[in-house]
Amino acid sequence: MNGILVKNQLVFDFASGSLGPSKSLLASTYLYLNSSASKLNLTFENILGDNLIENKDVPIKTLKYSDCISDNSHEKISAQKNLNPITKLVGPLNKINWKQIYKGFSEFDPKFQDDDDLKLIKMDPGASVPLHSHGGKEYILVLSGSFCDEFGTYQKGDIQINDQKIKHTPIASNDEGCICLTITEKDVIFFGRYGSFLNLFTFIKSFFK
Amino acid sequence: MNKLELEELMLRISSGRDEMAFSTLFDFLAPKINAYFIQNGLLPDNSEELTQEVLSTVWAKSHQYDASKAAVSTWVYTIARNKKVDFLRKNSKIDFKEEDIREFLYDNNETDKINEGEVKDQVARINKELDKDQQKMIKMNFFENKSHKKISEELEIPLGTVKSRIRHILIKMQRII
Repeated sequence: MNGILVKNQLVFDFASGSLGPSKSLLASTYLYLNSSASKLNLTFENILGDNLIENKDVPIKTLKYSDCISDNSHEKISAQKNLNPITKLVGPLNKINWKQIYKGFSEFDPKFQDDDDLKLIKMDPGASVPLHSHGGKEYILVLSGSFCDEFGTYQKGDIQINDQKIKHTPIASNDEGCICLTITEKDVIFFGRYGSFLNLFTFIKSFFK
Repeated sequence: MNKLELEELMLRISSGRDEMAFSTLFDFLAPKINAYFIQNGLLPDNSEELTQEVLSTVWAKSHQYDASKAAVSTWVYTIARNKKVDFLRKNSKIDFKEEDIREFLYDNNETDKINEGEVKDQVARINKELDKDQQKMIKMNFFENKSHKKISEELEIPLGTVKSRIRHILIKMQRII
């Protein structure tokens, strides 16, 4: 799988508003921390904006322009101090109530109700995660510090998207450790008429990836 | 209506609170926004309701529009997209306002560093590189949010061909970006 293509896809899906809540939050945090991703998003939103003004018309039946004018004043701009999507939700990263899973590795579950499993993870300096692979796709966005694995070094604002064929051993940096936002996708299971056939197909296909 | 005309209307709306300018903008945009919601699978009643919300936001927040940051079309598109997402998530139990979060992209300091001319260049290059069919496919996939299966049915081409063509387009776009 082409890594850059998968990252771009995440940005395009964010721009088109087709992501579920967890992925949308991850993507907006990614755009907040990473200015090249943010630029890509803006480029794509421009294209979609062009689609809008070149769109064919579907005439309005009842709505009139006066229905959209509530009063003459401008809506007040609320002073937004914190714009970081994730800390807006969970508060400052240094005040999170971490739950230790094993020595050097802690998790925080914001209890986001979504099919995608969204978590924050904290690795102490030098801590590592044993070699593993994934059932579905795994998204890892670095919020602070850095980690490295067999594929490279990932710093604040970098994202790694892994599919099931990836096996890796992430190790947190020695000086500051690492805090990441992660999503683990559940395995895709097909339902309906051809469901069992498709599941069997996915199962067989997984051997050839 | 071209982008410059839209910008002039927005200026009259935000600084002059000009209702005539708003009525002109409404007549141009409302049927297109309405079409966007219908293309995204909403029922006509809901699509008009959301169109009203989008254009009410345009009126109420016109002072937040900044021509140096984005085209009117981009700004209105993001408002419409956000309304669509919120509508589709209405029944979700997530208790926090995502719209606030999405608005940050527009006010974000990082975005200030992005050269608007650079973005325009990229969009122009992409539009030049992609032929009409490819542009149509991007529109169906990302603007109308149609599944690959739906696109294959509508264009009467095999699903596998749709998938590989979209992949090809994304790779092509990636090279430009």
